[in-house]
Amino acid sequence: MRNLRADGGPGGLSRSTVARSVAIPVVLIAALLVLGEKLSVNNMLTLEEVLGLAVFAAATNLLLGYGGLVSFGQAAFYGSGAYLIGLSWLHHWMPFWAAFVLTPVAGGVIALLMGLIALRTRRLYFALLTLAFSELFYQLVNVRYSFTKGATGIFSVSMVPASLSMPRTGYYFTVGITCASLLVLWKITVSPFGLMLRATRENRERVEALGVSVYRHQLLAFVISGAFCSLAGALFVVYGQSTYPDLLNWTTSGEPLFMAVIGGMFSFLGPAFGALLYQVGNQYISQHTHDWQLVLGAVLLVVVLFRPDGLAGVLSVRTWRRMWARRGGRRVTPVDGGPPADPAPATAFEATEGAQQ
Amino acid sequence: MTTGVLELRDVTRRFGAFTAVDGVNLTVAANSIHSVIGPNGAGKSTLFRLITGVHRPTHGAVHFDGRDITGLRPHRVARHGLSQSFQITSLFPRMSVLENVQAAIVSRSRRSADVLTWFHWSTRGEALELLERVGLAASADLPSEVLSHGDQRALEMAVALATRPRMLLLDEPTAGMSPYETARMVQLVSRLRAEEGLTVLFSEHDMDVVFGISDRVTVLAQGRVIADGPAETVRDDAEVMAVYLGSDE
Repeated sequence: MRNLRADGGPGGLSRSTVARSVAIPVVLIAALLVLGEKLSVNNMLTLEEVLGLAVFAAATNLLLGYGGLVSFGQAAFYGSGAYLIGLSWLHHWMPFWAAFVLTPVAGGVIALLMGLIALRTRRLYFALLTLAFSELFYQLVNVRYSFTKGATGIFSVSMVPASLSMPRTGYYFTVGITCASLLVLWKITVSPFGLMLRATRENRERVEALGVSVYRHQLLAFVISGAFCSLAGALFVVYGQSTYPDLLNWTTSGEPLFMAVIGGMFSFLGPAFGALLYQVGNQYISQHTHDWQLVLGAVLLVVVLFRPDGLAGVLSVRTWRRMWARRGGRRVTPVDGGPPADPAPATAFEATEGAQQ
Repeated sequence: MTTGVLELRDVTRRFGAFTAVDGVNLTVAANSIHSVIGPNGAGKSTLFRLITGVHRPTHGAVHFDGRDITGLRPHRVARHGLSQSFQITSLFPRMSVLENVQAAIVSRSRRSADVLTWFHWSTRGEALELLERVGLAASADLPSEVLSHGDQRALEMAVALATRPRMLLLDEPTAGMSPYETARMVQLVSRLRAEEGLTVLFSEHDMDVVFGISDRVTVLAQGRVIADGPAETVRDDAEVMAVYLGSDE
């Protein structure tokens, strides 16, 4: 059997791994730029939505997949990003660009406040506290009609600069912000902080014994996630040219969690692929049946039960290697293939909760 | 009275009416291998937790390296250079063997909140070297959960060493190990003492291990020190024999 790790050596980033981490972003960015020339305006809008949601899902997955934290308060960040732009326009606080730049700051601050309290609790209580926080925002926006236009929401083409409301420039802008966000988030996952975050997911007592505060590291993850979720909300305004209370509702918090689970929460791009599946599925299935939610539920059930590593797990190089080896009648033993460093846990429950005793 | 790296003076810990550790005096000399033995329930694990800061002594003092560390929180004690391995294996199961060590290096160098550098490049060399030393370099890329029990304990040693300790506290390091794994652990501990100048304090049930590598042995029974001295002397001590024969060890 050919030596699958000939180029890396133990503990090394094999050349193929390095090549992949350069090739994947380059190919994806090139594809997105080419698509900008080829796609119809309608499809381009769909793709913009996918990109915005990809940032939302990837930022949420920093908590879910890397930190083992199930937050149901992600809508608070997403919606506040959208509302910061909407309200700035409505009340003439500041120009679009200033508001846009401020959205990650606002998201980070809200996440800091929420995290300071919610992260003192664990698991179910953490999920419920984050849910309660985001419902608070939802209700506030819903009730203060004079300030936020309540359930009507804020709709206007002039909310974003004319240059951005043209389909193609809007598209390229979204591509740029999305790619930059994903690159920054990816960089964070391969930093010492990213490693420690995974360690807190695996065994928080051991992390404490190493002299590192779990609380502070989870809080930092929360702030980063909040900042990028808020930026994703700002992107929503760019292509949606509207903002309304549902962006703050708990169902919106569920979406990035679905995307991450479907796409695969143990790979960085998994949640982004999940966003693609989710949005495209939503659009095309909704055209043929009213039961989009039913289909979504079924898919989620299958993934959770059989492939907790999601689509990314199914498509991973390792899976193909394993199949290739099986067809050849040989098992991939740990020595030549090496199971993944984040092998798929038996169930999604075990994936996020099991390790956090 | 000789001064040691670690000194316990009249350390006592009560849990309600129960006295788990009762007026223990203990001096661990620098660069020595010192073992604490005693029947189950003698207070060995409690004594270790009093040293690492998991429990606070009811009274008495713990000095490490000339400094009073009595009642410090565990992560503060760890920062003083006293590293422990747990009685129950405690690793990051779904991270690779290498990453387990890398996480410890990142914590030691206080870069755990660093988002700007690449952990892989900055810690790989040192982590591999540590794995080499405990004989796990070939398994670097495996998830730590697939290692055998003995290998997991060896990995814990590498993790402990990554914090660059002056002293290792090992609570029953060979518990549940096969004879081969035990022999390997014994070899590793004595090599670390010789090569790194480490001081090692450990608790152990296996008498072959205890008298095979210890310079000094302290015997605990019902929370009290009943014997303390060079390994050969303690081995022949009548009271020690009585304790062990009585408790069927």
